Amino acid sequence: MKSYRVITFLKNLSMYLILTFFALVMLFPFIYMLTTSLKLPADTFRYPPRLLPREPAFTELPGYPDKLPLYYVEKDGQRREFALVRSNIRIGTFAPPENPSAVVERFLSEVTPTGQSVTVNGQERELFQVLVDGQSVPMIQLSQTTVGEFVDPENPEIKAYQNVRLSQPVEKITWHFENYQKVIELQGLDRALTNTALVTILVVIGQLATSVLGGYAFARLKFPGRDTLFVFYLGTIMIPFVMLIVPLYQLMVLIGWTDRLAALIVPWIFTAYGTFLMRQHFITFPKEIEEAALLDGASRLQILKDIILPASVPALATQATFTFLYAWNSFLWPLVVINVGNEKNHVLTLALNVLRGRASDTPNLILAGAAIAILPPLIVFILGQRFFVESVASSGVKG
Amino acid sequence: MTHASHPAGELLTPHTLLVLRLLAAWRALFSLLALLGALAPWTGLLPGLPVWQGLLISVALGLAAVFSLLASRDILLRRHRGRMLSLVLDYLSLVACFIAVLQIGGVFLGIDALGEVFGRSIWFLFVVLAGYLLGAAGDYFLHDPRTEALLRQIGKWVMLFGALAFLVVANLPQGLLALARNLANPAGLGAVAGMVVFGLALWAMWRSPTALALNARTGHEQMLSGWLFLSPNLLGFLIFFAGPLLLSFYFSFTDSDAFNPPNWVGLANYARILNVTIKPLASPDQLAREVLDISVYDEVGRLKIGNGGLLFGAEDRFFWLALRNTLMYALAVVPLSVIPALVLANILNSKLPGMKFFRAVYFIPSIAAIVGIALVWQWLYNATVGYINYFITLAVEFLNNTFQAGLTDPKIRWVSDERTALLSIIIIAAWQTMGFNTVLFLAGLQNIPGELYEAATVDGAGAWDKFWRITLPLLAPSTFYVVSTTTIQAMQVFEQVFILMNPPEGPNNSTITLVLYLYRSGFQNFKQGYASALAWVLFIVIFGLTLIQFRQQRRSSIYEN
Amino acid sequence: MNRKLWMLANVFVLAALVLAACGGGTPAPAQPQQPAQPEQPQQPAAEEITIRWRTRPDNQEEINVYSTISKELDAQLDGIKLVYEPGGTEGANYQDQLRTEVAAGTAPDVFWIPGTDIADFATRGLILNIADLAARTEGFDVNAFYPGPMYHLTYNPANGQSGANSGALWGLPRDVSTFALYLNLDLIEEAGAPDPRELAKQGKWDWEAFLDVAKKTRALGSDIYGYGASAWWGPYGVWLNAAGGGFFNADRTACALNTPESLKGLEFQRALYQEHDVAVPYGEDPEPPFRAGKVAMFQNGRWATPGIRTVTFNWDVVELPKGPNGHMGNWLFWGAYVINAKTQHPEQAWKLLQALTTAETQGKVAALGANIPSRVGQEAFDAFLTFTPPANNQAFLNGLADNPATEGPLWAGSWPEYDKIMGPAIQAVLTGSKTVEEFGATICDEANKAFNK
Repeated sequence: MKSYRVITFLKNLSMYLILTFFALVMLFPFIYMLTTSLKLPADTFRYPPRLLPREPAFTELPGYPDKLPLYYVEKDGQRREFALVRSNIRIGTFAPPENPSAVVERFLSEVTPTGQSVTVNGQERELFQVLVDGQSVPMIQLSQTTVGEFVDPENPEIKAYQNVRLSQPVEKITWHFENYQKVIELQGLDRALTNTALVTILVVIGQLATSVLGGYAFARLKFPGRDTLFVFYLGTIMIPFVMLIVPLYQLMVLIGWTDRLAALIVPWIFTAYGTFLMRQHFITFPKEIEEAALLDGASRLQILKDIILPASVPALATQATFTFLYAWNSFLWPLVVINVGNEKNHVLTLALNVLRGRASDTPNLILAGAAIAILPPLIVFILGQRFFVESVASSGVKG
Repeated sequence: MTHASHPAGELLTPHTLLVLRLLAAWRALFSLLALLGALAPWTGLLPGLPVWQGLLISVALGLAAVFSLLASRDILLRRHRGRMLSLVLDYLSLVACFIAVLQIGGVFLGIDALGEVFGRSIWFLFVVLAGYLLGAAGDYFLHDPRTEALLRQIGKWVMLFGALAFLVVANLPQGLLALARNLANPAGLGAVAGMVVFGLALWAMWRSPTALALNARTGHEQMLSGWLFLSPNLLGFLIFFAGPLLLSFYFSFTDSDAFNPPNWVGLANYARILNVTIKPLASPDQLAREVLDISVYDEVGRLKIGNGGLLFGAEDRFFWLALRNTLMYALAVVPLSVIPALVLANILNSKLPGMKFFRAVYFIPSIAAIVGIALVWQWLYNATVGYINYFITLAVEFLNNTFQAGLTDPKIRWVSDERTALLSIIIIAAWQTMGFNTVLFLAGLQNIPGELYEAATVDGAGAWDKFWRITLPLLAPSTFYVVSTTTIQAMQVFEQVFILMNPPEGPNNSTITLVLYLYRSGFQNFKQGYASALAWVLFIVIFGLTLIQFRQQRRSSIYEN
Repeated sequence: MNRKLWMLANVFVLAALVLAACGGGTPAPAQPQQPAQPEQPQQPAAEEITIRWRTRPDNQEEINVYSTISKELDAQLDGIKLVYEPGGTEGANYQDQLRTEVAAGTAPDVFWIPGTDIADFATRGLILNIADLAARTEGFDVNAFYPGPMYHLTYNPANGQSGANSGALWGLPRDVSTFALYLNLDLIEEAGAPDPRELAKQGKWDWEAFLDVAKKTRALGSDIYGYGASAWWGPYGVWLNAAGGGFFNADRTACALNTPESLKGLEFQRALYQEHDVAVPYGEDPEPPFRAGKVAMFQNGRWATPGIRTVTFNWDVVELPKGPNGHMGNWLFWGAYVINAKTQHPEQAWKLLQALTTAETQGKVAALGANIPSRVGQEAFDAFLTFTPPANNQAFLNGLADNPATEGPLWAGSWPEYDKIMGPAIQAVLTGSKTVEEFGATICDEANKAFNK
């Protein structure tokens, strides 16, 4: 009995481990997007990358007009916060020509060229006067680099020299929410957001309306040609959108709808798939209730509106869900039909496409833009999570 | 509903008789007008009208004229067919006038301007919603009718206020004015008048007395309702789907370029796409120009066999590269997103606590915009500072330190290396569709009756046996649905490539896909006829793949039975 | 009851949306070529004519430059109201979008296109031949601009002639530019590498010296690169040119990518990416890491300057290193303002075109940092040198003086198609999946198909 429990426990544990691993994989890009969108540009190029946004800390010192960045400096075996007061100080390594391993480090300002040279390993090298223990020794220069001068903010007399680029700056975690403000101004994302919302809302409402009417006709009304037509509708479900892109574009040119939001809305209102889904749903509705209502003198429209629709909310929601996502996320068609210069009519996906070129040096802004496009559907999803997932699941089984 | 109960063709009031005569006259007039309209494109009154459009107008109006004339006679003979024809013709004309009013009134184009005010006015829609919720809150006070009524009343007023404020902020008054102004010209007034006339004619024909006079029956009524209900969808579907589809088919036989009138080129587009050749190679590295007619063909790829090999050449190299890439992509994405989904769905089905949370989390990637997702992954894939390479570096260090594995850090240049470019697209797609597929599988699993498993347990079957013998066979419909939708979607990959790769074709054309090539042909090189032909070839490929899967599924289910 | 109310509200809102939609039709900026607004032609004659124009900005700084210019010109030009729209960037398919829009009739009246695309736009009939307008304009002189761009801008495909009397004029050059190397001086100093500007002054700035600096800076760390260039034809073309090769033969009628000289240049460049591994991986955008202080030498044109002025490290520019044939192989980049063939106001568009290319306007654009004036003249040079930073502006002029190859369209073929064949093949070489020999053996068989048969 005990071993059975242990086995169950281990089994469940491993299941949770697998689930958690995949959950992390699924969520990580979103977490990365959100935290990076709150960073400073320089922070996004740091290696190794860090998740949380940080900002360098500064201090002010008497005698220096500008704010000075703080770095961690190893001094007397301690890690301390020093201020960088001067950078790009040249420093070289020198050694006597006869003994290249006896290396000393000196600032270039401390050594003087002798004007003479010496041949080492067949190469002519310049000789410098280098002070070693109070004595001037002729040496050749082996290498050269730069360091920065760091001082203790409490006691500016205490100095330290080290490479600036590799020094670890003192940083504090800060969230730059103004990135969102910036990207909205930079690319007019607020307008793109309202346009996307407008297009999505109209497409969803329009598509629901035509699919409900059409689906009801297919499911409940007998008329000649109905079944042939239904087979035709069914057959077109498999046809991918790209089939239509060229002629639809030419149609838009013909009726003057290029560069218009109408071109993103009207063609998407009439779908075979939605009609099919609705018909599949209505056909399960008991006929008797309807016939009774007909005998009571109700019209078809009344029956649809008062009896059938209220009972079909889950099916309507399923379709609204699909349509919402499709309309919100569509890219190829807006790319073709909306003018790239007319930012007033951009939807979010288009705005992002322009933004990625324009802000290519500031990934924080690009990802803030991506977040603006991704978050609204995500919020809708989180609010109606249960309903959402279950409606998709049900569509899969029936479809 | 009621008119069928009367015997048909009985007593007619003089009034009804007059209506019938008027309607017959109207049909004759309609016929005449339609005939004139049909001739209009050929009189030079409409300059700049392409021939095919003129043809379309003539055919449509000509047919309308013929049918209208037929209907006129039918009405006089009191046949019901006349009523049907009249209703259809008048309804279609009414719809046409309505669309003309919308177009002339600038309603379609005005949606742009709505974008301007929508941002301001949308908040008032939330007020409307709040009002509705307030009214709905009345449901909680059923025990206290006064509070309930009060709440409903307040809710109603709040809704009303929200709606009014919305309208004002959304510039409704100016909108109406503009509509009136836009319509105040011959075309606009004509369209409005048309709506009135056709509306009247419809009403006159629809009325019960007229219906009775023309021997209508219940079946007729249902048929008319059926067509009426279907008509918005059907008309839009014909205009924006079926029509363009036919047009696409026509374009695929032309050299249409969006700037000039198209010329018929027959099968030339298809011939160019499908023109391939396979030649044996004398040595594995023999140059293409030594075996191919390079004025026509380009090398697509070669198969090296021993000291020789085969060279695959095509007239349109890019199409075949695109086909190769797309098929490879689909072939990788389908198992990568379906198999883990199956595993995850089985775990999620185990009724442990917290499963709904995981289910929701897995679903998140599939609702996010691909354009946004691709931008995020672009930075994750960054060769220098990206997280993916950082994780790989960490893993390599860990393995080296713990196991002395002696691995070297690969430092993969995900999107700029020919060998990994397609893979990086595949990973994104698998990541994005996996959760969706999991949910679909989970729904399928929950439909499998638990008794089957219980019976199997009694028979002593292990978990593995149950999975293979029960779960998998009974999940076949879900599997078919998941696999075929994933395949169809995978064959249309475009956004990820377009955003992630620069240029979109990727290093050495390694991520050129069929839809990308179609876009490039149609909207960069403006070979729109050629692009249409590509579209049909793409469709045939997708159709073929789905057919194969369908056959496979049927075969396996037959086997199971 | 509640449900009914809800439905009613829905219907109401929907109807309101539709009604409100027509409202905006008037206040929205009307598009001149849209016949759907009937009140458009009835507007009083005093109304200003709206001209929309567009350039391709590569960053926000450039957008600001052109927005300012548009506002100033709007005040200058009587009877014309200017609307500037930025359009997409290089990565966002600027030219392709434009073609779609010209086809659809929604493109702006005046727009900028890169020099390479002039032939494609002209032969498709997308842009207006303004030779007649120019002939009627007093004081207009084709020869005031750089001859390289003007050769192509006056090329008449009908008679194969070029020049002031060819009967063709497709547009006027916005500006010219050459490549230079933007230097991160801090990195170069830290690496102890010699200062490229000094080497250039001493005449020692050649491929070897360049490689030396690149290697030394690359040695600073795994995330520090010596060299970076974007993945398009400009950067790789330089190395081919500098070795004495090039994309085309002399009269631009056939591929010359497989000549020994071209292959030599390609080989050196391949080594930068592969053997020496000093460069930002080909295909990864080098500008962000450069601006983050991780690239020592970044090859780009003058147009990058406004963006780079925002960096925090010490920087300057230096001319490209001289190749084996003693030249740096630079390009004379240019792009031209052209007029939409479907514009309703060609006269006004032509006025704008001239206003955009006056010495004054070009001076302003140059002053804001974006580019070099396209009018030839010592004054323009002298003024240009004062537009710092970068301190070493002379580097760009040195590039201009070194007999650069003119960026140009293919009148005998399709440049976009040529580019689509050449680009991926070169990328395959630079990313190591193809050898230079393999490239040379087949490239021209494929690329020659882009020429008219």
